Amino acid sequence: MTRLLRSYGLMLKWQALRDKTILPLYLVAELMIAVGFIIGIGFFYPEITPNTAKYLTTGAPTIILLMVGLVLVPQIVATSRTEGTFDYIWSLPVPRMVYVAADATMWILVSLPGVILSLILGSAYYHFGLQINLLVIPAIFLIAMTGIFLGYSIAHGAPKPQMAQLVTQITIFAIMFFSPIIYPTEQLPDWLAAVHRVLPIKYMADLSRGTLTDLNVNLGLAFGVVGGWCLLGLAVTSVLIRRRR
Amino acid sequence: MRVVEHGVEDIVLRAENLCKSYVKGVLVNDHISLSLSRGEIFGLLGPNGAGKTTLVSQIIGLAKPDSGSITIDGVDIVASPGYARQACSLQAQTQVPINGLTAKQAIELVGSVRGGDSRSVRERARDLLKHFEMEEWANKSAETFSGGMRRLVAFCMAAVVPGRIVILDEPTNDIDPLRRRLLWQQVRNLVTMGSTVLLVTHNVMEAERAVDRLAIMDQGKVVGVGTPGSLKENGGENMRFELILEPRAELPKIPEFLQHAVVTGRRLISRLKESDIAPTIQWARSLKEKGIAEEYSVGPITLEDVYLKLVGHGVAQETMEKEADHDEVAS
Repeated sequence: MTRLLRSYGLMLKWQALRDKTILPLYLVAELMIAVGFIIGIGFFYPEITPNTAKYLTTGAPTIILLMVGLVLVPQIVATSRTEGTFDYIWSLPVPRMVYVAADATMWILVSLPGVILSLILGSAYYHFGLQINLLVIPAIFLIAMTGIFLGYSIAHGAPKPQMAQLVTQITIFAIMFFSPIIYPTEQLPDWLAAVHRVLPIKYMADLSRGTLTDLNVNLGLAFGVVGGWCLLGLAVTSVLIRRRR
Repeated sequence: MRVVEHGVEDIVLRAENLCKSYVKGVLVNDHISLSLSRGEIFGLLGPNGAGKTTLVSQIIGLAKPDSGSITIDGVDIVASPGYARQACSLQAQTQVPINGLTAKQAIELVGSVRGGDSRSVRERARDLLKHFEMEEWANKSAETFSGGMRRLVAFCMAAVVPGRIVILDEPTNDIDPLRRRLLWQQVRNLVTMGSTVLLVTHNVMEAERAVDRLAIMDQGKVVGVGTPGSLKENGGENMRFELILEPRAELPKIPEFLQHAVVTGRRLISRLKESDIAPTIQWARSLKEKGIAEEYSVGPITLEDVYLKLVGHGVAQETMEKEADHDEVAS
């Protein structure tokens, strides 16, 4: 166990050093997403009701975390696959899931400032107070980990690294416009609402809504569904990274 | 120099009847059987696409054999790839992910990952950087490094806490001649420290000086194994003869004692036995006196000659034809 923790710490340090020059850029990008999302999308609405403001503000963390997990992570993993980086990393005496855990930790840490800033910005801009439940901490971690593991699954599962990049673009497009993150599920056509009863996206948004506002959300169901998807992503990632050519 | 046969207890790595294909029906490794003895530098030579890196990938657990077995210290590493990663340290052919890190950070990190204690890792990293005269680069970010510098850092990463087997895949690519010498000293030093070295290269001349034993691979198969000396002695014709004709001179009939003669434009290259040196020189001198030969030389056969004989037929023939065409055009 001590050896695993030591390896985890060393791999985390390695990842942080590798990405240190680009990390400020990620933070700026996240902030821009938050601003664009909370304020920009607000312009679509002729009038912002308190509930709309809460949907927009609490949807932002999910969007940022999914942007990181489903876009940034797969793109960086795809680039690393193309460059053969994993051939080196996988040759080190470190269990592959320990490397993934270190990588995921770094991405979560990178995401957090954007998540916090988006919430502060949204509540200040729309003049409402967040009702913070301590469950927000596991909720945010669960959303982040689910996104990252699903991102890893796409990136390592795609037969060619370039395919992963294409898949992530399509996925994020679908998430942005066809998912009940910034509006209630009832506004979707029945068939799409049915799809979202299975996918984790609506439940991810529910997690942040239910732990940050007084909106009526079934938190137990949201934790259950997102937790299930997280475990699925973890299992698929674990199988894919253990594969040998 | 070691002999070809070894006691079983000396064998640290053994591959038996290893087959691997990425595309059905095309074997990249075709029934490969090899063994590495403790404390030797074993060369794996072959042209691009011979299957060398595929073999390394299977040893380190990145690829899985279709059939056959690989053991390290008697442990089946196809079933336990984790054991191989603990036992082997690798300088991969691909670039190491060190952008953002300094040379010192990269070497020390791998040393710690490989289980070294921080003080000895720091000292070893400092010694390696000093040996390669890279102290001024120690605290610079790897983004600013040339390809050769990156390769040296990658070597140091494999050598800082060396595995029982150190695998070096084309370690001298892009490295300047002075530091190449320093690198070969360090490779020998790894053996002194108790490691066995598997050196993958297509640089035959460097390998000849560096390795204790070697295997030559071609088209997925091992086509020769032994010490450089034993491979060169194979067949008894262990001398080479080279003769350059005068421009427009006709080559007379080649004597029977000159074997495997190849004529390329004005150049004749062949092999001979040591006992045939005197008649060869006599024949060459007479050609020179008659104004047919411009110059000639006789010397011991090189590993490169053996290598080309084993793997270079197609390439050599093609080169010769091109050179001949060029000579004809030129004349």
